[in-house]
Amino acid sequence: MSQEELEIEIDPSGKVTMRTKGIKGPVCMQYADLLAQIVGREEARERTHEYYETNVHEHVRPTVDVKQHRR
Amino acid sequence: MSSVVVITPLVIAGWPVISAAVTAAVASMGFNVVQSAKVATPVIDRERIRPPAKVDIELDDSEILAGATSDQEIVVEKDGIRATFSRDERGALKLCMEGESYTKQQLRQIGEELVGRGTQQFVYHRVVTELKQRGMSIVQETVGADRTVKLRVRNV
Repeated sequence: MSQEELEIEIDPSGKVTMRTKGIKGPVCMQYADLLAQIVGREEARERTHEYYETNVHEHVRPTVDVKQHRR
Repeated sequence: MSSVVVITPLVIAGWPVISAAVTAAVASMGFNVVQSAKVATPVIDRERIRPPAKVDIELDDSEILAGATSDQEIVVEKDGIRATFSRDERGALKLCMEGESYTKQQLRQIGEELVGRGTQQFVYHRVVTELKQRGMSIVQETVGADRTVKLRVRNV
């Protein structure tokens, strides 16, 4: 089984790109939601074939409870 | 293969958090922090006729939350450039660039890089702090030649 990971890039302007690795199904979208709440405003999201694969194991869901002040 | 999400940062925090990010970021570009605008070395030579170029840059996606301190300004200098970070009347982060030997275009370019570095520092600190609070672990951290920070994170 491949290791589940997030790859996060923060470019010199502060823009963030996150790729999930080894995380199948809708759980990877929960990680995307979490990071969007932490960082700011989501610009784009792409689902690749791994999203549509089924997970054998139950994942520990990330807790999404960030308090973000938005104007 | 993977899922990919791209996120534009919103810089929303109190002045102490933002000033810490700005201070760290400008130091990496060789700027020296001056204690306050009152003790900064004057950029303007009053004897000269031509005033220094001046450019204002506002970070629209920012909000400096109101705090107890009224001293919400950082002045940094390098090579005849003075950059003043402050909170504008709307509460957003504002940068005023001044330099005698520079064009407005040059000042804007340097200013935008300063603002970008500050934003990157703010986002880095926020991401690492929030993920660690959720029990996630940073297993690798690298900085590329273009100064992009790359993190590999696992949910342990």
